Amino acid sequence: MSAIRRVQQWATFGRMWYLYDAKWQNPFDSADKIKEYISGTHKPIYHPLNDCGDHVVVINSRHIALPGMEWERRVYFHHTGYPGGASWTLAWELHRKDPTLVVRKAVYSKLDKNLLRRGKMARLHIFADDEVPNSILENLSGQIRQLRAVPKRLDHYTDEEIKSFPRIFDWPKDYVIPN
Amino acid sequence: MCLLWNLPKMSSRTWSLFWGSRFVKTPLQNGIGRYVQQLQRITLKFCKTHGGSQGMRDYIEKELIHFAKENPGVVVYVKPRRHRSPCLKAEYLNGGEEYISMHRLPADDIVRWMAYLRGRSGYPTDRIRKDQHTDHPSIQGPWTPWLHRDPQTNVAQYPNEDLSCVEVMGRSATEELREMFKKQKLVSSYKRSVES
Repeated sequence: MSAIRRVQQWATFGRMWYLYDAKWQNPFDSADKIKEYISGTHKPIYHPLNDCGDHVVVINSRHIALPGMEWERRVYFHHTGYPGGASWTLAWELHRKDPTLVVRKAVYSKLDKNLLRRGKMARLHIFADDEVPNSILENLSGQIRQLRAVPKRLDHYTDEEIKSFPRIFDWPKDYVIPN
Repeated sequence: MCLLWNLPKMSSRTWSLFWGSRFVKTPLQNGIGRYVQQLQRITLKFCKTHGGSQGMRDYIEKELIHFAKENPGVVVYVKPRRHRSPCLKAEYLNGGEEYISMHRLPADDIVRWMAYLRGRSGYPTDRIRKDQHTDHPSIQGPWTPWLHRDPQTNVAQYPNEDLSCVEVMGRSATEELREMFKKQKLVSSYKRSVES
């Protein structure tokens, strides 16, 4: 194999590292997207026998947004294997114990159930906040777009922006705004 | 072939362990530019009296002459033998051989089996992994992850807000309203300046 062909091979099968910001994102919808990257189905060279998955670094997993009543209603089951070893943990409890676990379990359950699943999960790196070790940061070569726009709270706007926002009407001067 | 009917059901993985799998290939690029007949010799064995050879006898009477005329490169032997069931034995250019029992088969089926043996390469049958093959995979060069990518992503600092946020499709109602409000203010200020 010539040098050019060898480099071509590296280029085609090189593993990319992608960043995903989970802030205000639905982890179950995000898992669908992350799944494509860590199993390599987003590439035109994909083949089931072809190990071409990329790495995905998920940040801000502490700030995910679950839809509807999922924080209270979603239950994670675990059994130790001993009699009476069953336990049921609510999503908010699990999130308090380990803020990366909801995302990890969402991706794990979306992947195909076969022997490749653990290997694909090894390519997923989840961080609770936006602090990522430098050894991982320097590998990054792309970012996956978020699924939804992150909403901006009123106290995140500056006073000038709030003042310059058009008002439909002015309150009367003697009107008392009830708090 | 007869062996396979007795085999238990197995996954394609187990099947491949025993029977192998390969990619599409042709011996010495046969058929590209010229075609070399791979079937060299075919022997039709049958019995002159037994009912099991009836189809084979019909075939030899009516069809075999056409086969021999159409394939002058193939040596055809006809071998009667007493009280044995009929069969086809094909021998190929690469030394491969194939034997197929023709017991109680009608002449129509034998026509098809002859065509099958004539088209074979002589290599053993394997499961074919892919339906296509090319020696020149791509003129443009193989795909790489950097193909058709925005060069900005190579120099960007991660995490990057612009590359992460959702791509906005069109304007929201709030933005529309603010735009209208701005225009209205411009018009009213212009009117005020004209009046004064």
